[in-house]
Amino acid sequence: MNVNRRMFLGNAGLGFGSLALSAILRGGESGVNGLPHFAPKAKSVIWLFMRGGVSHMESFDPKPMLNKLAGKSIGETRFKYVQDRDRLKKVRVVVVNDANGQQRNKLYPLQVGYKRYGQSGIGVSDWFPHIGGCIDDIAVVRSMWTTDDNHGAQVQFHSGRHMLDPRVPTIGAWVNWGLGTLNENLPQFIGMGPRYFDRSDGHYLGPAYDEVKLKIDPKNPLDYAQPPADKISEEEQKLGFGLVNRLNQMSLEQYPGDSRLEARIKAYELAYRMQTSVPNVVNFDKESEATKKLYGFNQKETRTFGQQLLSARRFVEQGVRFIQIMHGSGAAGAWDQHSNLKAKHSELAMQVDRPIAGLLKDLKSRGLLDETLVVFATEFGRTPGSQGSNGRDHHPYGFSVWLAGGGIRGGVTHGTTDEIGFHTEENPHYVTDVHATLLHQLGLEAERMEVPGHKRLEADFGHIIKDIIV
Amino acid sequence: MVHAADYLRDIKPVLKARCYACHGALKQKAGLRVDTAANIRKGAKSDSIVIPGDPERSELLIRVTSGDEHERMPPEGAPLKAHEIAAIREWITAGLPLPENEKAEIDPKEHWAFQVPKKVTLPENSANPIDVILDRRRAALNLKTQPEANRTILLRRLYLNLIGLPPTMEQLADKRPWEEIVDELLKNPQHGERWARHWMDIWRYTDWYGLGKQLRNSQKHIWHWRDWIVESLNSDKGYDRMIQEMLAADELAPEDPEALRATGFLARNYYLFNRTTWLDSTIEHTAKAFFGLTINCAKCHDHKYDPITQEDYYRFRAIFEPHQVRLDPLPGVMDFEKNGLPRVFDDHLDIKTYLHLRGDPKNPDKTRVLDPGVPAVLATFAPEIKPVQLPIYAYAPAVRDYVQADHLSAAKASVDASKKDLVEAQKKAANALKEKPEVQTKPIKSATKFNVTDDFSKHNTELWEVIGKGWQFKDGAARQTISTRGAERLVLRPKLPRDFELTCRYTHTGGNVYRSVTFRFDVSSDLKYANYVYTSAHAPGPKLHVAYTRDGTSTYPPEGRVAQPIQIGKPYTIRLAVRDRLVNVWLNDKFQIAYSLPDRGPSGQLLLSGFDATVAFDDIYVRSLPTDVKLVESKNNVPELKSVSSVEVSQSKLAVTQSRLAALQAIFDAEKKRGNETAFNAASHSAAKREAEALKVEGEYELKAFAKDGKKVSAAQRKIANAEKKITALNESNGSYTPLRVTKKALESPAHKEDQYPAVYPDISTGRRSALAQWVTSHKNPLTARVAVNHVWLRHFGEPLVETVDDFGLRAKNPLHRELLDHLAVEFMESGWSFQYLHRLIVNSRAYRLGSSSKDVDLSTLSADPDNHYYWRMNTRRMESQVVRDSLLHLAGMLDSSMGGPSVDPGDSVRRRSLYFKHSRDQQDNLLKKFNDADHLQCYRRTESIVPQQALALYNSKLSVEMAGLIASRFEEGNFIQKVFQFVLGRSPDEDEMKACRQTLSELESVARGVQKTKADERARRGLVHALLNHNDFISIR
Repeated sequence: MNVNRRMFLGNAGLGFGSLALSAILRGGESGVNGLPHFAPKAKSVIWLFMRGGVSHMESFDPKPMLNKLAGKSIGETRFKYVQDRDRLKKVRVVVVNDANGQQRNKLYPLQVGYKRYGQSGIGVSDWFPHIGGCIDDIAVVRSMWTTDDNHGAQVQFHSGRHMLDPRVPTIGAWVNWGLGTLNENLPQFIGMGPRYFDRSDGHYLGPAYDEVKLKIDPKNPLDYAQPPADKISEEEQKLGFGLVNRLNQMSLEQYPGDSRLEARIKAYELAYRMQTSVPNVVNFDKESEATKKLYGFNQKETRTFGQQLLSARRFVEQGVRFIQIMHGSGAAGAWDQHSNLKAKHSELAMQVDRPIAGLLKDLKSRGLLDETLVVFATEFGRTPGSQGSNGRDHHPYGFSVWLAGGGIRGGVTHGTTDEIGFHTEENPHYVTDVHATLLHQLGLEAERMEVPGHKRLEADFGHIIKDIIV
Repeated sequence: MVHAADYLRDIKPVLKARCYACHGALKQKAGLRVDTAANIRKGAKSDSIVIPGDPERSELLIRVTSGDEHERMPPEGAPLKAHEIAAIREWITAGLPLPENEKAEIDPKEHWAFQVPKKVTLPENSANPIDVILDRRRAALNLKTQPEANRTILLRRLYLNLIGLPPTMEQLADKRPWEEIVDELLKNPQHGERWARHWMDIWRYTDWYGLGKQLRNSQKHIWHWRDWIVESLNSDKGYDRMIQEMLAADELAPEDPEALRATGFLARNYYLFNRTTWLDSTIEHTAKAFFGLTINCAKCHDHKYDPITQEDYYRFRAIFEPHQVRLDPLPGVMDFEKNGLPRVFDDHLDIKTYLHLRGDPKNPDKTRVLDPGVPAVLATFAPEIKPVQLPIYAYAPAVRDYVQADHLSAAKASVDASKKDLVEAQKKAANALKEKPEVQTKPIKSATKFNVTDDFSKHNTELWEVIGKGWQFKDGAARQTISTRGAERLVLRPKLPRDFELTCRYTHTGGNVYRSVTFRFDVSSDLKYANYVYTSAHAPGPKLHVAYTRDGTSTYPPEGRVAQPIQIGKPYTIRLAVRDRLVNVWLNDKFQIAYSLPDRGPSGQLLLSGFDATVAFDDIYVRSLPTDVKLVESKNNVPELKSVSSVEVSQSKLAVTQSRLAALQAIFDAEKKRGNETAFNAASHSAAKREAEALKVEGEYELKAFAKDGKKVSAAQRKIANAEKKITALNESNGSYTPLRVTKKALESPAHKEDQYPAVYPDISTGRRSALAQWVTSHKNPLTARVAVNHVWLRHFGEPLVETVDDFGLRAKNPLHRELLDHLAVEFMESGWSFQYLHRLIVNSRAYRLGSSSKDVDLSTLSADPDNHYYWRMNTRRMESQVVRDSLLHLAGMLDSSMGGPSVDPGDSVRRRSLYFKHSRDQQDNLLKKFNDADHLQCYRRTESIVPQQALALYNSKLSVEMAGLIASRFEEGNFIQKVFQFVLGRSPDEDEMKACRQTLSELESVARGVQKTKADERARRGLVHALLNHNDFISIR
């Protein structure tokens, strides 16, 4: 059999359980054949990413001190030290002299109130009341940092590498690569919503590991899901695929041991099934009205995101490993309030708050939350100081994300920023620490995931955030 | 008990991964090597690092376990893991048992790829060297090759490899000798298109992309470089020359725009935001593409594996440091959005290069300026860098004949156009004179003559002309009864004197939004000119306003406005007194405003009307303004703006275009004399004068054209004064003109503006890049030819001779077929770096013509070499994405074979070859993307995945369905299956395949009959072809 490394990458990406074949192709290394390195806590990940930067102070890390110091320049407060040169130097600038991504000195008061929620009493801003209601299932990490002060941070959060470094696979691609499938009829890495950065996830892993982009449209949920209207009937297609299969099988006799041909035959079988299996998942006819309402289908503002989240649950039920949902369109991402923070942030929060809480509740009531890891993340936070009269700039030095389900402790916060939300203080975490934690819950050891010829850096692997794990 | 085997298993790999980079063959920091157990025993220059049996006193263990970060080894990364340390401890405790015959790391200079390649000595009159060499290797292992593939499969393979399109039926039946067909295909221009796409992968072709209209990456019109690649391959230009042109055509062939296209290779790396990122890409990919070294790994620290230091990295950067990118004009096009030639040039000759500490551009080591250079380990044959004197053509592009011709003909065209405008204006003026003589009538000057009174008790037709709907004379008033914004009006037939007084009683009776009553005077017959006063009952701001209309546009000057609570149903008496430009207005006998109009028209025409309003005019009294009536002066008293006739404006415009043409001619005259100082200075001086004169004429024109616009008038006056000053100065002493900007330099940073760059460039180029190009293409360079041959081999055989196609450094193991690689590399160079020679050598070999099936293979061959390392059969490959699409179109007879030109937007309806698609981060054809299209950032080798999305694309895309139908229609009914099978798959069906096809065809037919009444058979045949296009053998190169 003519099998080389490149082929095995190609094949594994089929994402279906051709165990015998991919076992040969993959060899014995990391996370092979859908077999994790150790017993997993979670089977699937729902990755929610807010494009742009969500203000950490006005979401999951409220800072009342800002109200006290409102209008003062940082330099005239006791927090002067946060702007020491040494403390600011980890940032790497892509766009030299950009108008954004600058120091903003005049402290800007919180634009929204906050309350303590649940038994844990964790403070969450009034823009996220429904997520607040689920806080006892959530672990908030308030001490994230990154190094890109511009929207390359989106690439960085997904890959762990700064825009100026070579592109490497994103976390979704690694999960796809590291774990096999639980369903032979569906792709393993599904993406929804807008995205701006790189067009590829797999990079050196190959396009087989890219997200498969879906639309919430049962008639046409993915590229080429259906033949052009009126050209080929279902019956004709069945005959056609049947003939392709028969001829390819005959060809296999002419080319014994041709692993590509074997993989091609499998790919056609899966493709044929995907034409019905994928539309079925994004078809909500069988969901109850109560469920739809839970996800916010009844409101125009929440409907789109709610539909994506409900389909995410349905994909999880079908055994899909990684569902990546990006929220907030526009080149720089919608969550990017250099001005008008109060009006826009509240509007955007409203779009996601109820659907996300709905997802958490729905997963929980179905007993799926234990094996499904939900991540809420964003590019960076926003500056404690004001930009213009009513905005906040990009802030990579400290911001918040949260995780829930899949063996993550609920009702805890981990790590802190200082009182004005500028720098991380306790337990700082670089973005790949989220990756490491997630892989760990999936039963994968980041350090063992490596492809010959593509050395990974230590920072790529990250460190598991142990405190938030059950 | 610990043995040497434990060292080899548990310790050596750790040391190799963590320590060899600094303490191995590459470097021996502190004189220490740890690449063998013996070396570890030997220790450092000054001291031993181990004491057998006593780990705790052994420096090795002390250092790897130290708690002090400055002491601990290795200095970078995490400390060694506990079990690794334990293994070392035990090994030392056991007295460091040595393995037998442990080999030290080789001296990096001895690395195979750094040795000059040599040819294999071949027996005289021997067959193809590829076969001789491979046969020897196979014979040694007793491997037996598969038989040659059948003729049609072979022809399909050859066509797809050489021209990227499958053969037609006639071509499949071609009986001519193989070599003849090979020669013909190499001469086919489609060969250049096929192989250009391969090199576009390797050289990272991308069209420009950015955000919106902002160019951030690559360059507009970079397709010129693509065309250069295609043409170079078709003309079999030597690969050495190709590299030289790509790196330095601006120095080697500065006057040859055809060659300059090649520098698109460098221009492609352009990145608006960050020069370091831009140069990093240039460095990394120049090295990887041409000589297979990962220099990029030495950006932040010395290379971990290869003998390339961080200093080497920055010396290499210094080669590119001075260069920038610009668009040169192309004949016949002056708009750079439409076309232009992207090319590089040395701009900052004295710019310094420093080493960036830890790769941080914010932290340059300014203590040392680094000279340009190639990596020291291979620098022995590097040529000296000599600055290049550039011809005027290159650095002062305005001297080029075609540039001058284009600019002059554009300037002449402007002259012609303004001549035409002038004739038009004159014609219009003459016509106006004929048709509307009253326009020219002077207003009645007599102060006493004019006197008009009307109480509107009835329509006095001698006094008033009624225009439009809604007018009624009743109840003692002239009433407008519908609220409109139209041209409804009462026109006073007698013409007003220039100075007049009007008193009118009227009532706003209703209306919509503005509810205005308007008194217009000086109204021109086309209504485009008027002065007027109106009262408005507009709810948010009722007012009285003096305003005017010029060229159909109304101006509502704030100085002419008075807020007034005008109410509906309340009678008002307005009085206006107009003397020359001054207007005074009273309302109900109360003085309201004095306002100076910009000018007065000659028509004497008075109009009454409502605007968005209904109105009742009760009575009116108009008379000449007595001279003794005193008026209040206005506060806006501006000097009168002269009205200028359009004929005058057109004449002046013509003068502008003519003087510009004259200036341009003078400038070009001067440009031509560059290089001859005396002549140039004289010509330059007179060009400067012409230029100043043209400026003056331009000011004079603006004065007339914008006569009504105070701001523009004063700007024009300043311009004239400025020009006059220049002319005076030029009369007294020498001066020079503003060089004409005929190129467009790419912005070095978003903060820059184009016009801050000089129009004339440095007349010297540093010569750094041409020296680099010579070094790369030197016969002494051991890498360049090997890397190229490896790329070509890969694309013919599906597997490379050296697996890491972009890295021939120390991590690239001595290849299994090094002899073959080296022999081909030398022959390639000796052939004049001819790719066509290399192709011919390869495809004429027996190895190339072997079958790809392992059916009936000799079993001992299979077990000895299951992975076909010895090429006992051909490897099957999948078509690249472009070949998939091109083949579909070609078989359907739909491929548009026109070559070259601007890139086209991707899409289902395009019929051009796929290499002409726009290809960038933002634009990529969706179908191509599914079949592993080239990554625009880096693609030294295409990935080849097999995923269901490909099946969906090939089955469900509009393109494949459509092409299936067209292919089916090319064949008659008789023997249809047999023929179309062969056409699509390049071979005849066997009996089983025939049977399967026949069966499906008839099933398809009966289904089709249920769907459509006519042509069901055609539909079924399309269905069959569609299935064949999805056969694995269609997208495979067997």
